[in-house]
This record gives sequence, C-alpha cells and structure tokens, in this order.
Amino acid sequence: MKRISLICLFAVAVTVASHARTLVVAVDTALPDLKAAVAEAADGDTIKVKKGYYYSYNTLITKRLTIIGDGYPVLDANYKEEVVTILANGVTFSGFVLKNSKTGSMRDYAGIRLHKVHNVTISNNRLINNFFGIYLSDCDHVSVIGNTTNGTGTELTAGNGIHAWQCHDVIIMNNYSTRHRDGIYFEFVKKSRIISNTSERNFRYGLHFMFSDDDLYQKNTFRNNGSGVAVMYSKRIRMFDNLFIENWGSSIYGLLLKDITRSQIVGNRFVRNTTGIYMEGCNLMTANDNIFINNGWAMRILANCENGRFERNNFESNSFDVTTNGLLNLNKFDQNYWDKYEGYDLNKDGTGDVPYRPVSLYAQIMEQIPQSVMLMRSFMVNLLDKVERAIPSLTPESVKDINPKMKPWTR
Amino acid sequence: MIVLLALWITACSQKPEALQYGKDACVHCMMTIMDRKFGAEIVTSKGKIYKFDSAECMLGYISEKRGQFGDADTYLVVNYKSGGTLMDARKCAYIHDQKISSPMGGNLAALASEQEAKTFLGNGKLLTWNELVK
Repeated sequence: MKRISLICLFAVAVTVASHARTLVVAVDTALPDLKAAVAEAADGDTIKVKKGYYYSYNTLITKRLTIIGDGYPVLDANYKEEVVTILANGVTFSGFVLKNSKTGSMRDYAGIRLHKVHNVTISNNRLINNFFGIYLSDCDHVSVIGNTTNGTGTELTAGNGIHAWQCHDVIIMNNYSTRHRDGIYFEFVKKSRIISNTSERNFRYGLHFMFSDDDLYQKNTFRNNGSGVAVMYSKRIRMFDNLFIENWGSSIYGLLLKDITRSQIVGNRFVRNTTGIYMEGCNLMTANDNIFINNGWAMRILANCENGRFERNNFESNSFDVTTNGLLNLNKFDQNYWDKYEGYDLNKDGTGDVPYRPVSLYAQIMEQIPQSVMLMRSFMVNLLDKVERAIPSLTPESVKDINPKMKPWTR
Repeated sequence: MIVLLALWITACSQKPEALQYGKDACVHCMMTIMDRKFGAEIVTSKGKIYKFDSAECMLGYISEKRGQFGDADTYLVVNYKSGGTLMDARKCAYIHDQKISSPMGGNLAALASEQEAKTFLGNGKLLTWNELVK
C-alpha cells in the first residue's frame, strides 16, 4: 500500500514538473519582453530573461512565476511609470537591473512594487534611480534579500529605498540602500526582521520605524545618513549588534528614539555621531553591552524617560557621556565603563569604590545655554567640573553609576 | 543706536519663515522635514517660530501644549497641491483620506479652498480647521 502511494506521489510530481515550462525572453524573438512572457506563462512556470535592454512600463506579474534575469538584464521605465508590480503569491523575482521609475508625484512610484501578496522572494536585483526602490504594501511572509538600491540622489524627489507599509513577517536581509529619503522604512510593520543590511548617505534616516511593533534589526551598518536610525511610536523593538557610524550634523542622531516602550538596545557600536542615542518619552528601555566612542553626546536622555536600565556599556572619548534636562529619577546606570572616571579601586575588584556621575555640570549648563559650547575645554569649565565632582550640588543626584568599571568591557 | 533699533524691530517681526526641506526638523516628532506636499508652522505673537513636518504634528503639538498657543498666534500649513507654499491654516480646507500618506500617518492634506480640495477628494472626508482642532 505504502509503495503504491509513493509511486502515485512520484507520478504526480513528474506530471507537475513536466507541466511547468521555462520561457525564455530575449530581444528580437517571439517573446521580446517580460510582459509578453507573463501573458504566455501559466502558474508555476519559470521565465528566464536574457541579458539585454528592455523597456518595462509597470509590467504586472499576475501569476505564480519564477522570474530570473540571466546576466542582469535591464528593465527601464523611462520616467513614465513604475517598473514592475507583483500581484501574485509565490513569485520569485531575481537578478534584474530596474531603473528610472517616475518620480515626485502624488503617487509613490517604485522599482518593484508588491501589493497584497505572500511568499514572495525579491533577491539580487539592482535598483537604480527609482523614486522608491522596493515597495511592500499589505504583504506578509516576503523576503527581500541581497538587493542594492541607489535612489535619485536629490532631496526633493527621493523616496525610500525599501518601504514596507502594513506588513508582517517580512525579512529584509543583506541589502544595500543609498541616496534615498530613508534607506529602509517600516510603517505598521509587525514581527519582521532586518538583518545585515547597509544604509548609507540617505537624506533622512538609514532605518525608520513608525507604529511598528515586535521587530528585530541586527548586524546592520548605518553610515553617514541624515540620522542613523529613528524608532518612533513603536513597542518591543530589538536592536542588536548594529554599527552606527558618522551620522554627523545639527539635529542628527545615531539612534533617535521617540515614544517607544519595552525595547532593547544590545551590543551596538556608536562611533563618531553627533549624538549616539537620543531618547524622548521612552519607557522600560534596556541599553546593555554597547560601545560609545568619539561621539559628541553619547546619550541624551530627556526627563520624560522612565525605568531605563543602562548596564555594561563602554563610554570612551565622548565629549559628553550623558546629558539630560531633568532628574532621570527612575533610570538606572550600573557597571558601565566611563573613561572620564577618576575614582579609585582600593580592594582591586575591578569596580570603582566611589560612584561616577556621568552628567557633568558643564553639560547641565550647555542644556540651558547652548551658546556656552564655545567655552568647551576651557580652563573655567574644567575647574567648574572638578569642583562639582568634589562637592556635587547642581548635577542630578540620581544619575550615577554606583559600580563603575575600572577597565573597559572587552567584546 | 539705529542698528540696535533695526535689530530690535526685526527681532519682533512676526514673519513666517519658509520651511527648509531636508534641513529643518519637526519640533513635535523630531523628524527632518522632507515631503514638500506637507508641512506646517506656528508663528507666535512674539515672533517665535515652530516648524512641523505635517499638519497632524502641529495639531498634536498644540493639544500637547494646551493653552500655550492662542488666537494671537499664526498657524500656517503647506499646500498639498502646489507644495512648499505656506497658507493660513484657519482658512484652509482639509482632506482626511487613507490614500494620503502624510509623514505622521495622519492621512491629512491641506488645500487652499473647499473648491480646490474637492478636486482631490475621492473617498476622503472634507474638514475645516475648526473641526480639526476640536
């Protein structure tokens, strides 16, 4: 009985396989472009597009197809339309160059648009000079892997590199995004993962979350964007092992957090940013095992943040370690390494014997009078800080690390 | 003395300032103001300027700072149609429509008049300033 069912299964598999055809698209043949091939194909077929230059004015993929570019064929929308729109489940789209979508209109034109689909894979494409790169709306279980997207490069006509709206269970992995508004943008996106991507030189943010919950971003690099990452109005975001580097300028941040709760910032590196982390209205945050090097402000935590825990971080060569506009009563700093710590460790257990107060008096003054920045590193400021360290009177008493480490954490 | 006087006068002027797209940051949500179809500004009676990336952010800020702003202050919004130009917010017509992707998810567009708004209306809802600030 078992054997018969196996044979049946095999027979079914063979018939399915024999039904699935491979259509080849090439210039000056019976199938001169992708649109003709899609019309010809049936669900389950494969379309191979040979190397060449094709115009594609919003080619609709309405069937379950595997579409593969052979030697990076070019699909050009010539600034008239979107390039490709995928409207069927189970599509694989891989190995194309997509360029020149229409820009700057009431509609968000994209290189590849996905709408109301699931189990779609978009991989190894190169998107050049599109308004939006890859645009996902109302999708789930979609993978976007190994694509590069290079935007229009002008501030006013730049859309987002990878844009997801109202999606869940999406994976964004190994992509590169540059010269867009936001490298990667999530709005109402749940339970999704952003792994090992690079966003650089985008006009607004490298990565941007709005109203998105339960997402993870890990091992990404955010370099020289308007700001590195902005997480806003979201819950339970996990931010692990990312690099925030050279996000520099006025009102520019490595990581900007606004009205978020129960999120974790673990194992990240913040290097040469104007402000490493900026927090406003954030509750129940953990920031552990991070490294802050050469930032203007390592952390700016506004007084409306509550129940934060900041442990085992390294603070090295930052102009200011922590600044705030209030008391930060309910936040806890513990076991961090602060290079400005001047205490002693008599019992040699690796932990300083006197607490460290990361908010300097001068930082407090700066908070009130930003112009006083011109006194930075002056003799007066050093004197003020030294006196305040010896006899604390003006800096918030509650902001202190009672177990400051004598040596940086190695990792 | 004249220079000082001139400075004093300009310091008190209530002139609105154009939004610098790509440079200015929204006071309410901290985002850089990017989308030319949206944007808003408050010029207080003392001449202090607050910039926003969208009308919903301005509305949010006004309700958050309840009592700080009043009738003497000027509210301005950006024209959805022409983009970048500021108009008196109290005289504008507004459309609330899922299709309008304003920066803070408010789905709100400002237009110069009810007539102009009707050309963009679709399935959306037409609103006045007074209905918005309620």
